[in-house]
Amino acid sequence: MSAGPRFGRVATGMAQKHLDTFAQTTPGVVSAVLMSADGFEIVSLQVGKGGAARLAAMGSSLSAIGSAIAKEAGIVECNRMVIESDSGTVVIMNVPESRPPMSLAVIANDNSMLGQLLWSAKTCCAAIARAFRE
Amino acid sequence: MSEEFKIIFSGPMGAGKTTAIAAISDEAPVSTDVVNTDRAAFDKELTTAGLDYGRIEIDAETSVRLYGTPGQLRFRFMWDILGHNAAGVVILLDASQADALVQLDAFVEAFGAGKRAPLVIGVGRCAEPGALALDAFAQRLENHGLNLPLFGVDVRRREDVLLLVDTLLCLLEVSDPARLHA
Repeated sequence: MSAGPRFGRVATGMAQKHLDTFAQTTPGVVSAVLMSADGFEIVSLQVGKGGAARLAAMGSSLSAIGSAIAKEAGIVECNRMVIESDSGTVVIMNVPESRPPMSLAVIANDNSMLGQLLWSAKTCCAAIARAFRE
Repeated sequence: MSEEFKIIFSGPMGAGKTTAIAAISDEAPVSTDVVNTDRAAFDKELTTAGLDYGRIEIDAETSVRLYGTPGQLRFRFMWDILGHNAAGVVILLDASQADALVQLDAFVEAFGAGKRAPLVIGVGRCAEPGALALDAFAQRLENHGLNLPLFGVDVRRREDVLLLVDTLLCLLEVSDPARLHA
């Protein structure tokens, strides 16, 4: 279920380009979804339509639960969550100061390096945030 | 021996699950509310994306963990995650929503129609203009061959929500005791 038009065609178009660049320049990225905090797909990369909607809903739930845990622990705000397995990594990262709030979910295989993946995802989120502010 | 139950509050967006848990929880409830971008579906500012959590002590020996699900179908996976090992389910509905009977069918079916775990239904906003009568919900259940406890409630009122929980606990007492310790 995509909510793209609600977020503006220009901004979502730019977000798609930032996502494409992120995937092309970061080893191991398999797929990614930019989603609203309430679980709608905004733009996605290399995910089937059903899969993107599902990843958006699950990613937003995890992000919301991460924020609740961060508040409970007194560390104020959850910026990102990392799920690691032997065969890959999932990163869910909040897009800073976005209105409405949104997050990026990235799935990467074992060709990825966590530090590089996090840095590139952070850079991508910052670019997406600028696109939605402009 | 002290007992602790796990109870799920579910139902469509805007039915009052977060409000209901906040109304009875002994401690400040955990909320995962986020900005609602789908005002066409329901015109409210925030919506639950993860879960609600609260806890209530019924007496010195008995406490209940209260979990609220997100209401939208896209969060269906959370219903299953949170519903795992639940001792019982409270389904909340909004009588003023046009599709309230369809929602009744969907949520009753999703939580096993009372066959997997006891199920109680609370219907809110019954007095609003154009709202469905409580009888319409009872008739709908009867049409499906179901006889489930059904109450008109105001989820902002502690005693109304406690009525739902107490009814569920009564049902649990006469059903499988193994569920009580989930």
